[in-house]
Parts: sequence; structure tokens; C-alpha cells
Amino acid sequence: MSDLVLPIVFPLLAAAAILLLRRGAAILALVGVALSLAASLKLLGAVASGDSATLLLPGLPDLPLRLTAEPLTALLSVVVAAVATCVLIYSVGYMKRESGLPRFFAVMSLFVAAMQALVLAGDWVLVLAAWELIGLCSYLLIGFWFQRPEAANAASRAFLYTRSADLGLYIAIFTLMGAAGTSEIAATLNVDGDTAVAAGLLLLLAIMGKSAQIPLQDWLMRAMAGPTPVSALLHSATLVAAGAILLIRVAPLLTPEVLLAIGLVGGITTVAAGLIALAERDLKRLLAASTASQYGLMLIAVGAGVPLAALLHLLAHAAIKSGLFLAAGEFQHARGGTALERLRGVGRVRPWTFFGFALAALALVGAPPLSGFFSKDAVIAAALSAPSVAWLAPLALAGTLLTGAYLARALRLLWHEREEGENENRSVAGARWMGLGVWALVIPAVFLGLTFGPIEALLGLPGPGDHGTTAMLFGLLAAAAGLALGWLVPASRLLGPFHPWAQSGLVIAGGLSFWIGRPAMAIAYGCQRLERGLYATVLSVGRGGFFIARGCGRVERGLYAVVLGTGRASLAVAHLVRVGDERRIDGLIFALVASVRGWGDRARVLQSGWIHHSLAISAVVTAVTLIILLSASLSF
Amino acid sequence: MGRDLALLIPEIAVLLAAVSALIAEILRRPRASLALAMLGLFVATGLTIRLVGTDTTVFGGSFRIDALSIWAKLILLPATMLSLLLASAEVRGTVREGTVYSLLCLATVGALILAGAGDMMFLVLGLLLTSLATFALVAYPDDDPATEAAMKYFVFGSVAGAVMIFGLTYWFGAAGSTMIADLEGTEAIPLAVIFGLVAVIVGLGYKASLVPFHFWVPDAYEGGPLSVAAFLSVVPKVGALFALTQVFRDLPSESGGPAVIAGLAVLSMTYGYLAALVQDNVVRLLAYSSIAQSGYFLLGIVALGESSFALPSIIFFAAAYAAMNLGAFAVIAAVGRTLNDFNGLGRAQPLVGVAMVLFLLSLVGIPPLAGFVGKFLLFAAAIHAQFTWLAVVAILNSVLALAVYMRIIVPMYRQEEVPHDAASIWIDIVTLTALLATVTIGLAAQFFFVKSMA
Repeated sequence: MSDLVLPIVFPLLAAAAILLLRRGAAILALVGVALSLAASLKLLGAVASGDSATLLLPGLPDLPLRLTAEPLTALLSVVVAAVATCVLIYSVGYMKRESGLPRFFAVMSLFVAAMQALVLAGDWVLVLAAWELIGLCSYLLIGFWFQRPEAANAASRAFLYTRSADLGLYIAIFTLMGAAGTSEIAATLNVDGDTAVAAGLLLLLAIMGKSAQIPLQDWLMRAMAGPTPVSALLHSATLVAAGAILLIRVAPLLTPEVLLAIGLVGGITTVAAGLIALAERDLKRLLAASTASQYGLMLIAVGAGVPLAALLHLLAHAAIKSGLFLAAGEFQHARGGTALERLRGVGRVRPWTFFGFALAALALVGAPPLSGFFSKDAVIAAALSAPSVAWLAPLALAGTLLTGAYLARALRLLWHEREEGENENRSVAGARWMGLGVWALVIPAVFLGLTFGPIEALLGLPGPGDHGTTAMLFGLLAAAAGLALGWLVPASRLLGPFHPWAQSGLVIAGGLSFWIGRPAMAIAYGCQRLERGLYATVLSVGRGGFFIARGCGRVERGLYAVVLGTGRASLAVAHLVRVGDERRIDGLIFALVASVRGWGDRARVLQSGWIHHSLAISAVVTAVTLIILLSASLSF
Repeated sequence: MGRDLALLIPEIAVLLAAVSALIAEILRRPRASLALAMLGLFVATGLTIRLVGTDTTVFGGSFRIDALSIWAKLILLPATMLSLLLASAEVRGTVREGTVYSLLCLATVGALILAGAGDMMFLVLGLLLTSLATFALVAYPDDDPATEAAMKYFVFGSVAGAVMIFGLTYWFGAAGSTMIADLEGTEAIPLAVIFGLVAVIVGLGYKASLVPFHFWVPDAYEGGPLSVAAFLSVVPKVGALFALTQVFRDLPSESGGPAVIAGLAVLSMTYGYLAALVQDNVVRLLAYSSIAQSGYFLLGIVALGESSFALPSIIFFAAAYAAMNLGAFAVIAAVGRTLNDFNGLGRAQPLVGVAMVLFLLSLVGIPPLAGFVGKFLLFAAAIHAQFTWLAVVAILNSVLALAVYMRIIVPMYRQEEVPHDAASIWIDIVTLTALLATVTIGLAAQFFFVKSMA
């Protein structure tokens, strides 16, 4: 089952090829991701027929790296690859006018590879590696326009927020490995007692960071400073999803106490982020807040003990949210910005894209028979069936209502007649690629609901219990009420005195930033200093590599000189033989000495007296020694 | 515990010598400092003789009292005493004179720890101890060449030491123990241990001045005091080579290690002699020659586990090398540092000239001198261990060696003499002692072998 590595390897190769070739970046990235998608689909096919497989890769001693193909991981792998493919198609158009494309596409490919590794990992060590790679890639991508201060700032902020939350992941993983004595995920999920509670809460912390749950949601809105395809990928299938995916995978570990905590975090987030979205003045930031809100809903489902509902909502959301973002990106090109005021009426200019946007939005609200209807239904049913129904159900319904409200508000603004001369329309370069990407995502967003039945059967996870009709009724009511409110009532009146508060992006604005942001930033600052040190180390290692390369060049020249010297020496020997009879015997010795001294001069070339040259030569020979020994020991 | 300490008395005596020499220097009694150091070393040597034939370990196997470490003491302690005498002639009357004696003793402790190491941590400790002490010794003259040389030595030493410690963490991680002996009898070496092994080769190779870790050697020898160069060329080097022997004694022979060591041997011998050919400074010439001589030691290490000659040959060559190399340095101390200083020496000072010729011929490996017996045994060990090609390369290099040392010998008898100041009596004593050792070790060994053959 070595096919397991293929979904990871293809994008990785694409990234390497892009960095090496520095041209044809878009095509290479597309090919890599498409191959990855094909490999994932093949994997899903194999898994669907009942095989599940684990591949052991040689890693650390006694800690092999595992990749697992089981229904859940294979399915998630397909989702990642599919969304990434659409986003990359779209990027071809969106990034048409940008410079630095190799960097963009290489990092995107690396991002996909890391995400595939995270999804397919059967081993905590691999999860950690992939998790870190994802963090790094998101940093690089959010900061793609690093010349702009707000982008650089946003990238650092995202990195620091998620990194400090990652501390939870590290401790959780080491706790689990210590308790179970192995790094295999499946085996560590059997631990119980206090260890499980501690590990679960720590994992929750890491997930709150990555999935932007209150109070760590701030970075997500600011991350909008990056290119729009990046936002689409981050929000739907990769960075933010990584948290939820991890949570779904460790669901068997979670004890009732942890479940309650997860449900509450999700519930509070879904309402708070919904309020933020309602007050946002920028389309992309609105969508970002909406992402946090939707992931809150997923956490509610996990907290209710029905990870299947969370997974379904994750799938639907992946298609819907990436579609929404891609459409928003096209609007951005049309008007040169994403502020809602600037986008007023853009729907009439680009009707097809607006139509796609509206369909996806309705799907997210949960209008039947679109995909979001089924998944949201499952989430609400899960909340109703949970032991903590009194907490979770109202929060889930409030989240649904708010979803309807802010999306209706956005749709109204986008369709609203603009006032004369207010905004200028621009032509959009690469619109065809972009439209293709949008619709490639909107269509599944519409029809994905049809696949939920087979997916439930495939995964064999327990469903949300028997609240079908009630849940549907409640869900539809909340969605409809939300849509009506959002369309008819201006946000400022809806929120009343809370409006400026929500508009500032942090519900308990200054307070949270003060109480949690500051210590987090203090830790993060420490981390940053550590990172700087690491960076310096990496830099010096790089320089070391450079010296080694130079050393190799020298050795090559030295070898050439030796060859030359050998030739000359044999000439000299011939010469000696000829003159040997004519001269005295000591003359012969001195001639020999002189010819060997020629070699000695060559040897002196190596002894340049520069210590970095010396060290480089030492390093080269050390490396050769290492290779000889390694190959010797491998051949035995 | 009491038994362990009793077995370590020689090392402790050297340490006490170092400390008391330092205290005497603090009290501004440099002569007393020298005397105390000499006394400590002498006592330590005497105490060691008692131990000959012991084969045991102390501190739970982490330090070995075996043939290697005992002979290391019997060779290195007298060698240090000779170095002290050379140093006393050279640094007498300078400020901080006593620190030189103290540091020499400390570096010797490090070399002894290296030679008996049964645990990786002792390798690190010994390496650091010798390195730190000798960094300071090289910088002692406090002028530009010495500072530059010490700086290079320091940078090179720190990098090599860091690499060694870094690699040993892999070893520890994979083998789960810092004991060298724990690898014995394992079927295949874990991959991570190989990182450790290479790191050990780097660390010890730097101290033993093997090519390509030798770059600091010529500068340090030339820049530092001559007596320190003589010391560096013998004591830490033999310590490191013995430590390498301790490590490779316990390795499974299929590890590929011997092949790598053989490669380093070829590099060291050939490069060392080739580079020595073009030097005009005798100290640099001897520096390169000492690099080449280190390569010869490796012949014995390659044969470890395959030939019963291996261990005796290494010990024997160490003794011979210590005598002849110290002797050569003593003559340089008396005569001068450039080739021109040697012009006509054979006629001006016949005895010193003859001594130098004997030292150099012994370094080449001409019978019946000590160097011959040592190299003969090393070649035999290598051939015995199926490394015939290596022995052939070594013998070819001996031809090269003859050309190198002839560059000193020929002008001694063919050129016009240059005037020299009279050398210190201590230097003559060192020359004489080394000469006696060189000749008698060679003759005695041959006598012994002839008898054992008969």
C-alpha cells in the first residue's frame, strides 16, 4: 500500500520542481495537485472496498512514521485535494498580474502536501511535523505581500497566535505518547482517566488556535490581508480545518468533561463570531468571521458527541466557503478592494459570479435542498441529542440565525443599486479562470448533500439520533428568520448598542486583547526570540552548505591538479630515467625530491590558511566518511 | 570507591602536580612550580609501574585500567617531563612562567583520561581538558602569530568538539548508554550510532591531527612556543589515538569503520609528507611529519580485532614516536627553526648532528632504531588483518618520508656552517634522554623479538 504516500509526494515534488525550475509555476502546481487528487480518489476507492492499510516509514529509531488509510482519512484527503485543485485553478487567474509567482505556487503546493500528510498521518510525530509545516506555509502565504505592513503584521500575528496555541498540541502529544508508550494515534486514543482529560483539554487549546475559536479568533480576520485564494484555501480545507479535522480524529479520546468544554467553546464562538460578521464592513473579513462561526458549529457537534455531523458540516463548508471566497476575490478585482461600501452593487456588474456567490451563501445558511441544509440539520440534531442540550441547542440555533442574518446583509449590499459615480468598475484579467474556479466549487456546494448518505455508510460512525423533524424545523425557522432580519433590518439597528463593539472585531474587545492577547503575545514574543535564534542557526547551516559547495569546487580543482601532477611526475620520472646514467646518484635523489616537491606544492593549495576553508574541507571529508559508513551498515 | 581511587592514583598525582604548580606560581615561585610539577610526574610514573599487568575498570566500567591506559601513562608522563624541561629552557624568566608548567600537567591529565576512556563522557572530558589547556599554551607568547595560531586552534577545536558532542547525543539516543563497551557484540550498529561514530572520529581526529582535521596543526606548532609544539605533537596526540583505539576495540568489525580509518590513514600519511616536502620552516616540516606519523598509528587501529599484533604495535610505536619526535624538537630548540639554521650543523656540533640524524632516520623507520620496530609491527598487524594494500601504501610513504627528512639531513653535512649560541644544558639533557630511548628501545625490542623467534 505504498500508494499512501502519493497524495503527499506529488504536491511536494511540484513544490520542489517549481523552486528549481522557476518557471511554469502555475502548471506544475496544478499538475501536482491534480495528481494528488487522483491518488486520493484511488485511495478512497481502495478503502471503500473495505481495505484499510497502514504504511510504516522508517523514522526515528523505534518510532516509525505511520500513514493510515481508513475511510475517514481517505475522505478528508480527497476533500483537501479537491478544494486545493479548484483554488489553484482560480489562482491562475487571480494572480495573473502578480510577481513572485514561483514562491506563491511552491508554497501553495507545499501547503497541500503538508495538509495531506496531516490528514493521512497515523502517527503523532508526523502530525506534529505536518502541523508545523501548515503553520509555516500559512505564515508565508498570508504574508505573501510582505511589502505591505498590514500583510506582514497579519502573517506574524497568525503565526504567533497559532504557535502559542500549538504548545497545547505538543504537551498533549507527549502526554499521550508517554501514557500509551507508542506514537501511533489509534493506540493512544485508548488512554483514559485524568490523562485523557488533560490531553483532551490541551488538544482543545491547539485546536482553538488553529480553528480561530474565541478568544483566539483575532488573527483570522487580519489574515485577510493575504491573497484571496490563500484565504479560500486556509478557511475551507487546510489551516482552519486542520483543527476541526484533528478534533474529529481524536473524538474517541474525549471524555464528557472535555466534550462539554468543546461544546461551550464552539457555541460561544459561533455566536460571537456571528455577531462580528454581522457588524463587519469588509466582505473578506465578514467571510472570515463567518468561518470562525461555522467552525464553532462543528465544535458544537463534536461536543455533542456526534463527530459525524461535524465532518459533514466540514465537507459542506469546505466547498461553500472556498466558493464564497473565490467569488469575493473576483469582486475585489472588479472594484479594487473588499470593503462592503466599495462593493455596493457589484453583483449587477458580474451577475454570474454573484449568482454563484448567492447560491453558496444560501447553502451556508442552510436552505433546502442545498448541501448546508443537510449538514446544519445534522449539527442541530446533534445539539438536541446531546446531554448538555440546554447549553448547546440555543447556541447552535443562534449561530444558524446569525449566519442567515449576516449573509443576507452581505447579499443585499452586493446587489444594492449603487449611487452614481460612487464606485468605478474595472475589467478583470483572468476572469475566465476565476469563474471556472468559483463554479467548480459552487456546484459541489449545491449538490454535496447527495453524497452524505454514502459517506455516513462508508464511515460507519453513529448518527445524531432521532431528532430529524424537530431539528429540521428549528433549523429552517432560524435560517429563515436570520435571512429576513439581515435583509430587512440594518445591522446597526439589529445590534443596537452592541454594534460598535462587534464592529471592532473583538466581542469583549479591549478586555480580551488585554487579558489574553497580552500574555499570549508575551509568550509569543519569547517564541519569536527563539525563532530568531533558530533562524540564525538555519542561516548559518545554509552558509555552511555554501562553504561545503565551495569546498567541493576546491576539491575538484585539487583533483584536477593531482591528475595534472601525476602526468607531470611521470614525465619527470621518464626524464630521470634518461638522465640517470649521466648524473651522480645523489643528483637522482634530488631530482626525485624536486618532482615530488611539485606534488607538495599542490598539497599546499589545500592549506590556504583560511579557517573556513579548512573547516569546509573537514566537513566534506566527514560527510564522505558518514556516507561510507552508512552505506556499509545498510549493506549488511 | 576506595579501590577505584587507589587505581587512579597516578592520574590524581598528576592533577595534584598541576594544582601545586599553579599555587607555586601564584606565590611567585616559578622554580618551585617547575620542581613540583616534575616531582608530581615522577611520582605518578613510579606509581604506575606498580600497576603494569592490571586489566580492570573503575567507576562501573567507565574508565579502563588496561594495557593501553597504563602504557599511556608510562609513555606520556616521561614525555611530559621532557616537555617541561624544554619549556623551562624556553620560558624561563617570562611572566606567568609557572602557568605553563601547570597547564602542561593539566593537558596531560586530559590525555590520560582520553587514553583510558571507557565511556563517551570521558572522551568528551579528556578532549576538552587537553584542548582548553593547550589553547592557552599556544597563545602563551602573546604576540601576533601566537594569537592567530591559538585563535585558529580554538575555532577548529570548538567546532570539532561541538560536532563530537552533537554526534554523541545520537549515539546515546540510539544505544541508550554512554558506555563504549555496550556496542560490543551487537549484530548491526544502529544508524544513529554511526553519526556518533563519525563525530568521535572528527573529535579525536582533530586532536590526533589526522587529515582532514589537521589544519590547525602547522599554525599552532609554529605560532606557539617550541616546547608546546613538542608537547602537542606527542602527548595529546597519543592520548587521542589511544582513545580511538579504545573506541574501535569494541566495534563489530563489519561496521565499515576500519575501511574509513584506512582511508584516513592514507590521507594523513600521504598528505602529511607531501606538504612537509615544501616547508622551509623546520617546525612546520615536523608538524606535517607528525600528521603523517599519526597516519601510521591508524594501521594498528585498522587491524584491531583481526590481529593480535595490533594493540602491542600501537603502544610500541607510541613509545618510539614519543622518544624520537621529542628528540627532534629538542634539537630544533637548540639549533633554530629554519632549514638554514641547520647548515653545517654536522660539522659544527657533531654530537647534536648525529643525534638529529638518528632521530630523523628513526622517524623514517630505518633499522635498528625504535621507529623501525614500531612501523614494522604496525605493517605486520595491517598485513595480518588483510589490509595488505594499506601496508604497501604506508611503505611507499616511507620512501616519501626519506625525501622529507633528507631535506634536513643533507644541508647539515653539505653546507657551510652558521654560528650558533650555546644551548641550555636542559635541552642537551632532553636530547640525550630521547636519543638513549630511541636507540635502546629499538635495540632492546629487536633483541627481544630475535629471542622470542628463536
